[in-house]
Amino acid sequence: MAPMLPMIGGHRKKSKSLDCLLLALVFAATGYLGYRVTMQLHYTWHWGDIPQYIVRFDKGQHRWVANYLLLGLLTTLRLSLYAAVPALVIGLAMALARISRSLFWRMTGRTYIELMRNLPPLVIIFLVYYFLADQLIPLIGADDLLQNLSPRTAHWLSLLVAPPATVTAFVPAVLTLAVFEGAYIAEILRGGIESVDSGQWEAAHALGLSRGQCLRHIILPQTFRQVLPPLAGQFISLIKDSSIVSVISIQELTYQGTQLMASTYMTIEVWLLVAAMYFVLTFPCSLLLGRLERSCARGAT
Amino acid sequence: MNDQAKQESNSPIIDVRRIEKIFPGPVVALRDFFITVERGEVLVIIGPSGSGKSTFLRCLNGLEEIDAGTIRIDGISLDENEANRLAIRRKIGMVFQSFNLFPHLTVLGNVDLAQRLVQKKSRRQAAEFSRRLLEQVGLADMEDRYPHQLSGGQQQRVAIARALAMMPKIMLFDEATSALDPEMIGEVLDVMRQLARDGMTMVVVTHEMGFAREVSDRILFMDKGRLVEEGESQTFFRNPRHARTREFLQQIL
Repeated sequence: MAPMLPMIGGHRKKSKSLDCLLLALVFAATGYLGYRVTMQLHYTWHWGDIPQYIVRFDKGQHRWVANYLLLGLLTTLRLSLYAAVPALVIGLAMALARISRSLFWRMTGRTYIELMRNLPPLVIIFLVYYFLADQLIPLIGADDLLQNLSPRTAHWLSLLVAPPATVTAFVPAVLTLAVFEGAYIAEILRGGIESVDSGQWEAAHALGLSRGQCLRHIILPQTFRQVLPPLAGQFISLIKDSSIVSVISIQELTYQGTQLMASTYMTIEVWLLVAAMYFVLTFPCSLLLGRLERSCARGAT
Repeated sequence: MNDQAKQESNSPIIDVRRIEKIFPGPVVALRDFFITVERGEVLVIIGPSGSGKSTFLRCLNGLEEIDAGTIRIDGISLDENEANRLAIRRKIGMVFQSFNLFPHLTVLGNVDLAQRLVQKKSRRQAAEFSRRLLEQVGLADMEDRYPHQLSGGQQQRVAIARALAMMPKIMLFDEATSALDPEMIGEVLDVMRQLARDGMTMVVVTHEMGFAREVSDRILFMDKGRLVEEGESQTFFRNPRHARTREFLQQIL
């Protein structure tokens, strides 16, 4: 074994110098690109005008208020949080359907998951939106209800959900995201359930537990511990995927970006900022996910 | 005691008639298998691996469904009726080769759970009884540990306490010591020996011939899904009748 050690060390050293070389190349390329951009790009930067679109000073109210981009960020956050809960419920229900003993439920689960995973989310959102928002919501008279809210209720509604005028779009948007992400969550959960050792089912059955009791007290607690990291990862995806609802005019971050770009022509600044704002939202989640994975790995041993 | 109850208590507690189990393949795991076990009897099943010993145990409490024949446990027939199946499982405790403790629950939680869910005992009642059982298997001070913090022998003793918690009339042991380090086999066998002495009806699949000879009332030799030979444990080892039994005993003794 002893002669192996210097070889491993030598190998490591070699890759280190290669790393340095690559890093130097990347720096050189970036520097060159930066030089070309500053010297020759026909683009006038307006970074100075950008901050006012995050927060602005309201002269009437004499205080700082959130503007387009920050409002968009908050809407994105609301969308993601509200969609996550039904997505988890749908995911769990469909995962259980997939492993059900009844053929009907297995086929229901399978159909749902295959449809959601094999259709573009954009198509799904148009379908849900035009069916729900255009047909179903007027049908149940929700429009009138929303228009006749007391100012107090309307205030809280716009703070917690969306302004009354856009609720009819917001709800389908949340539902679409939930239904779409639910399919992926269902597959994560199903994989987790099936990875629990079959001896656990047998031991629980042998004690006289019913199938439901087995699931609830023995299988699912072990499943959730195992699938927490991939579930958290799916939540990050949900935040990113929420940008698709901009097509039904939900004023989330991406929508606000397009509007701002159209009216100011500060294309690159706006999208760089939008990218940064998404990153601010998702990166802490990623860090948290990393910690979660490490603590789950520790718990498993 | 009325006549029917008298008859009930005199009839064999396990009555298995001509059962057959075929796995997809098709692999015949059990063929034309029959056996009766009396109350308080300790039956040891031996045989080469793949002879259907474990499959037979798993058929007794409905973990595997039989393809033909009948199984009656303490007067209840094991069939498609879900209530019967659950009633039978309540009468039978099972101990597995790989322990199958619930890793997310403490030792006490493992022993408690079914008492609360199936027998609907209160948390206090269940814990009280669980502690008595843990004491019985020599693990009184371990109730707050998690399974992975215990040795194999300790885990298997928890598994025995967990099965006993349902106050079963029959205990099934499926190679309960096969996954253990040699120095831990003794502590598990001690618990099983004590159970046998206390009059528990036991069906034990094992490779521990010393234990089989000492504790069992009857020994049953299986090969290729069939019952080859059975006999009183004292005479069984001294003069096995079948050539196949002699061959097997020579290999392992």
